[in-house]
Amino acid sequence: MYDLVLNTIDTITPARPWGIDIPNYFWFTGVSVAAFIISSFGNVFGMKSYKPIAGFSLLVAFVLLVAAPLNLIDDLKQPGRISNFFTHGWENFPTSPMKWGVLILVSYFFLLLFNVLIFYREYFVHAYHCTNNKFLKTIFKIASLWRIKLGEAQEQKNHKIGLILSVIGIFFALSVEGYTGYILGATHGVALWHTPLMPILFLASAMVGGTGLLVVILCIFQRFFADFKKIDYDMVDRLMKLLAWFIVIDLTIRFFWLTFAIPFNGEEKYALMRFFKANLTETILIEYILCLLIPMVIGFVSKLRKNLFISLFGAAICSIGVWDFRWNIVIGGQSIGRTTPGLLNYIPDFWGQDSIISALSNWGIFIALLCLVMAIFPWDKEMSKYYKQ
Amino acid sequence: MDSNNSRRSFLTTMSLGLVATGIGAGNAQAFTLKNPGRDKQDPRYIGQKGKRFGMVIDLRKCVGCQACTASCKCENNVPTGQYRTYVSEYEIGVFPNVRKAFLPQLCNHCENPSCVSVCPTGATFKREDGIVVVDDTVCWGCGYCINACPYDKRFFNKLTKVADKCTFCAHRVDKGLLPACVETCVGGARVFGDLNNPNSEISKLLNMFPTNVMKKDQGTNPRVFYIGLNDEISDIPVSEAILDDLAKKIDKTPLAQWSVAYEGGK
Ligand code: SF4
Ligand code: SF4
Ligand code: SF4
Repeated sequence: MYDLVLNTIDTITPARPWGIDIPNYFWFTGVSVAAFIISSFGNVFGMKSYKPIAGFSLLVAFVLLVAAPLNLIDDLKQPGRISNFFTHGWENFPTSPMKWGVLILVSYFFLLLFNVLIFYREYFVHAYHCTNNKFLKTIFKIASLWRIKLGEAQEQKNHKIGLILSVIGIFFALSVEGYTGYILGATHGVALWHTPLMPILFLASAMVGGTGLLVVILCIFQRFFADFKKIDYDMVDRLMKLLAWFIVIDLTIRFFWLTFAIPFNGEEKYALMRFFKANLTETILIEYILCLLIPMVIGFVSKLRKNLFISLFGAAICSIGVWDFRWNIVIGGQSIGRTTPGLLNYIPDFWGQDSIISALSNWGIFIALLCLVMAIFPWDKEMSKYYKQ
Repeated sequence: MDSNNSRRSFLTTMSLGLVATGIGAGNAQAFTLKNPGRDKQDPRYIGQKGKRFGMVIDLRKCVGCQACTASCKCENNVPTGQYRTYVSEYEIGVFPNVRKAFLPQLCNHCENPSCVSVCPTGATFKREDGIVVVDDTVCWGCGYCINACPYDKRFFNKLTKVADKCTFCAHRVDKGLLPACVETCVGGARVFGDLNNPNSEISKLLNMFPTNVMKKDQGTNPRVFYIGLNDEISDIPVSEAILDDLAKKIDKTPLAQWSVAYEGGK
């Protein structure tokens, strides 16, 4: 009844700035963070069972992070003015998560780069000593960070520096995911975003999406591009179990988020009820049942996860679900009217800036970069070291 | 020894490079904590010290003629289909007790503007007289402010490709004129002035009548006050978009990237 007391005869459609690029960006940074954290299981926390994929997931994390900001640049209406970000507006540093977030992002990029170079330094030093080609020698020297000494002492030093960088890296990785949550959470005018849970909600779902993506990429690379051409079923099994636990954490946080936002709040409650009423079927069927509950069951039931095809399906579907979650948050949040009634619809453009094609191109760039990086770095040599034992 | 030397020379080059960049940046005034216009004390960016501008909109007097909308578009060269101010039209009540209501809307020039605090380039800021403006030479078009404004009062200008919104016609106000919408207002519903001056018409109105602002709970302290603002209108997010939808459906309005959903709420 309350809904029908007011009708709009005429008003303007409010402007909404963020399209498909932004959920895509949030997805890329999120899964990069997850891949980095999984790499640190073996690298920092010394969990032997994750050691074979430490280097591989580090490279995946790096490539995802290189591809991610391209979405942001494409989303900018004045991409030529990027320098303005660094030269102006420092008075807003404490209150603009975008301001400190981009700085965290840049630092995280360099940390990842050095992490990768330190991790594979030994291989590049070997390659340096094995070639006589001057050009290649220079490249390998740069890749090994100008340190071409070999030996036990050097190796230990490498390990120590790598460890320190990884520990700092974890802090930055968590901050990268945290800041994206802050960007949305700080926007108090948008009912769907305004929750302090947003940073951990983003982190938890990123762990789900990242683990899923890692399972898929790992299987493809081990099967087709590694020397040993054999999928490590135990690793897939392990990752699927991990995935199921990440889904449990994700669902728990979502439970707190929704049960706090919807029953108790004032104005936000109505906006959210309207939003979920309109999107309930899609949200429940796709986001929760198909993309979270089914992969969770696969991860927990050993018979199911032992089947590679089912595991791959579960991993892929939950990674897609995490993309969908980011889409629903970013686009759904903007669809809620603030001073106009009803909800808005978003239909992404097909061509041009911030369009379906630009999001797909970003995926193309990611795949191309992944192939390039995997061709340059000896991830399979590193990996096979563990399988020989 | 060797590595020590090379490390030292690397550090020397780095520090010299940084100092050179610093001097260059300093000379070109490229690095600023605030905004180039404000650093240069440009009066257009500083505003009128000691004043605090605001607007009262007397909804009892608004006739929904949209003269304010038109004059704003002419004065500020606002592109077709975009608006810095607009008068929404509503139907309030349930048959047979129905009445029409108008709500002129514009940037509220908030005391604590959420659009300003989130801006990562400082392109949007509050002048000393409280007018919130966007420096269109600095904005990089990230859209954060558009989402941060709880009142939907910002948009990307199709011509300038930066964030845009009402400026209270700061360029006119600085010359002692009134904002275009106020000057044109057919019903005399819009009153603009200095809130710090107890003798200004706006201060007198605020003393005389109870006023309300949009979305008080957002904590932004709007400086656009309404006389006679209906609670049902300020609670807009919980209403349906029925008639507007219907009209658009009948008119076969093409769907833009963002548009009002056609069927009720969906
Ligand atoms: S109404 Fe919106 S755009 Fe205007 S000052 Fe307030 S927050 Fe900023
Ligand atoms: S769009 Fe422009 S004015 Fe708005 S937050 Fe971004 S840089 Fe600032
Ligand atoms: S010009 Fe005045 S009376 Fe006419 S719509 Fe605008 S505010 Fe209302």
